[in-house]
Amino acid sequence: MRKFIINVNGNSYEVEVEEVRDGAAAPTPAPKAAVAVTQAPKSAPAAAPAAKPAAAAPVSVPAGGASVNAPMPGTILRVDVTVGQAVKKGQVLCILEAMKMENEIMAPSDGTVASVAVHQGDSVNTGQVLVVLG
Amino acid sequence: MSIDKIQDLQQRLDSIREGGGKDRIAKQHKAGKLTARERINLLMDEGSFVELDAFVKHRCTEFDMKDTDAPAEGVVTGYGTVEGRLVYAYAQDFTVVGGSLGEMHAKKICKVLDLAMKMGAPVVGINDSGGARIQEGVDALSGYGQIFYRNTIASGVIPQISVIMGPCAGGAVYSPALTDFIFMVEKTSQMFITGPQVIKAVTGEEVSSEALGGAMTHNSISGVAHFISQNEEICIAEIKRLLSYLPSNNLETAPVFEVSDDLNRIEEALNTIIPENSNKPYDMKDIIAALVDNGEYMEVQPYYAQNIITAFARLNGASIGIIANQPKVLAGCLDINASDKAGRFIRTCDAFNIPILNLIDVPGFLPGTNQEYGGIIRHGAKMLYAYSEATVPIVNVITRKAYGGAYLAMCSKDLGADMVFAWPSAEIAVMGPEGAANIIFKKDIETAENPAQARSEKIQEYKDRFATPYVAASRGFVDDVIEPATTRQRLISAFDMLSSKRETRPSKKHGNLPV
Repeated sequence: MRKFIINVNGNSYEVEVEEVRDGAAAPTPAPKAAVAVTQAPKSAPAAAPAAKPAAAAPVSVPAGGASVNAPMPGTILRVDVTVGQAVKKGQVLCILEAMKMENEIMAPSDGTVASVAVHQGDSVNTGQVLVVLG
Repeated sequence: MSIDKIQDLQQRLDSIREGGGKDRIAKQHKAGKLTARERINLLMDEGSFVELDAFVKHRCTEFDMKDTDAPAEGVVTGYGTVEGRLVYAYAQDFTVVGGSLGEMHAKKICKVLDLAMKMGAPVVGINDSGGARIQEGVDALSGYGQIFYRNTIASGVIPQISVIMGPCAGGAVYSPALTDFIFMVEKTSQMFITGPQVIKAVTGEEVSSEALGGAMTHNSISGVAHFISQNEEICIAEIKRLLSYLPSNNLETAPVFEVSDDLNRIEEALNTIIPENSNKPYDMKDIIAALVDNGEYMEVQPYYAQNIITAFARLNGASIGIIANQPKVLAGCLDINASDKAGRFIRTCDAFNIPILNLIDVPGFLPGTNQEYGGIIRHGAKMLYAYSEATVPIVNVITRKAYGGAYLAMCSKDLGADMVFAWPSAEIAVMGPEGAANIIFKKDIETAENPAQARSEKIQEYKDRFATPYVAASRGFVDDVIEPATTRQRLISAFDMLSSKRETRPSKKHGNLPV
């Protein structure tokens, strides 16, 4: 999901755009009509949007837990573990498709899955938490 | 000559060899560290070490220094042999005034560096020092400057290996940084410009010295160090191993060893190692192990920028440097850190006449704002520059993807590769099929009844026509398409053919590498 601010005749619109891949419509929330959020004058088109983009709920890492983060931006192709599952170091936690490669995201150490922060089909950014090991 | 004089000499030597005394030596051992002399003796062939300047004394009379005796000035220097080859070495002695560096301490190190340059032999410098000897003021500062200057002048002439076996803080870090390789030991070695106390005072951040500048920090995060060992004995064994891959100076070639491995070994497993689906990763290290003599290779910076592998190995007994994309990490993309790691390694190989083997499976440069803001353009340029500048034999094997600018950055034919082999699984093109189809067939896709279907058809069409090694081979950009199983014999034959390669460049003061 990407956000754009588009100026039309001096009216500023905040628009959310999602790319549709290979014809398979991604599970989108109810389509949002472009909503005028600011009537910013032309000279200041980059005025802060009224509504702050709802950031992905921050995942808290429990004390002593290790979070496994996305090494690069991509799409979650598959999640291989569930909460509470014991994992071994090097075990594949999920598959991150990026740069046309199905990158295996592996457990950095032995542990138990404390939480899974992503679902199949999610787009993730560099550094985003994917799985937290307890 | 009276016997007294000989006894006097013996006594003087004994007292110097005792360093900082029994208590301090015991303390050093308790910390898991060896003494300076023990380290050097472990490095050199038995009985070969000749110490120089053991009688040197400091000239400082300020503060407490006029009463301070510093045996051997806190640094053991000299020469000896490693596996029969001449090597110079110095080791700072932490038991003597904390291994602190003063005017005469620096002069001893400079003497060894000067000798090594004249004789064309490697230098191993073992650092274990509290830093500058503050009592000596600007004389100590000048000492550092003289060492840095010599490190720079010797760069590319003789291999310089720095070993951190204790603290190495402040300006002192720049001598190792200017040399070719840095070894660090887990838990006992730290490097930083400003220590934890200064950081806490200035920025309020609290960090332990191990987290700030420990061996793993510099091996995995900063990329300052090249090797990490669990203890000092292993570390010294690794230094000897590294020396076996390097020549003594820039006019020689690395020693050639007798080979027990079959030169014509056919490796059937390589025919099936590349997954059917080009979206699936595989471990490039399996390919390296299958190609080189006895499957042995020494990885340089194994924990840093793991999307590119840099390693020394042997083919037919002779040293080669390997630069390989790792599809298992970051899809094998080139990024800022990988460019720096590879660029530096290419120049190390070129400086010391070590032929280069590139194993290529690169989808492109890593996209992202942090890469662009971080200057991937100027960092990536280092790889292009280093390959173009290199005059050693360069052989490429394209195992799978070779797309766009990233392929040029891995040294395409145009940048000076002497032989380019491609496996039948190679996909060599100006960009990936998806992107290319979107541009070339933009109109066709837009006007189609079912754009998504048209798009995937066009991608397939592009793949079938261009994602092969044969278009590039038809232009001569690829010298030969080979069966993967035969790669080892083809490489040995190619490097053998290239061993007499001579290439001259226009004379200049020096190039202007985009640092």
